[in-house]
Amino acid sequence: MDLITVSRQEDLKFSVQLRDHVMTTDFSVGEGGKDGGPSPVEYLGVAAGACLATMVQAYCDARGYSDGDVAVNLTLEMVENPNRIGAIVMDVDLPNDVPESDREKLKAMALRMPVPATLKDGPRVDIEMF
Amino acid sequence: MEMVELGGKQIEIDEDGFIQDPDQWDEAVAKDLAKTEGVDDMSDDHWKLVNYLRDYYLEYNMAPMIRKLCKQTGFSLKEVYDLFPSGPAKGACKVAGLPKPTGCV
Repeated sequence: MDLITVSRQEDLKFSVQLRDHVMTTDFSVGEGGKDGGPSPVEYLGVAAGACLATMVQAYCDARGYSDGDVAVNLTLEMVENPNRIGAIVMDVDLPNDVPESDREKLKAMALRMPVPATLKDGPRVDIEMF
Repeated sequence: MEMVELGGKQIEIDEDGFIQDPDQWDEAVAKDLAKTEGVDDMSDDHWKLVNYLRDYYLEYNMAPMIRKLCKQTGFSLKEVYDLFPSGPAKGACKVAGLPKPTGCV
């Protein structure tokens, strides 16, 4: 795994660098930021949706399902105490020629894909302060 | 908190525009709340969502989970967001006169 570096731009806006990719994270105006990018929590939703979309697309490509592409719409259901994601709600559009039997199989597979599986079981979070 | 005119009545709202007393809600209030969400014309689909949220809240004293909202109304997530661009929590719940949902995003 390559190193991810998060460094401050201004206020609550941070740059995230991974290899040659640079992303920006910020908070919405209502949360004290300037909405200069998705919030860290929103990035978690992005990761889940992107993981699901790419893995399901790869499955469909491998089986020759080509009448349309995979697309994911998702939203986050937030809960409090502590403030966190209570649910990631995802709708997945599949190519039209995916048979019903594979749709059910894909739904079961989706929960075993890297990001959903990580969220489901909860990784160890190891932090040192310098 | 501030008082604003919604549906011809003076109604208290919080800093995000959610009404504080659900009992003050009626269709005229909903139409004015919808305008604050950029929805100038409440279609039958808007009302279907709003009325489902309203009925659920009155029965259970809480908002439904988003998946339940979608299944019960027959709308996909995208369709919900097409109707209320702020989403089911910040948009549809506000128009339905529900308290501000917990959490953020």
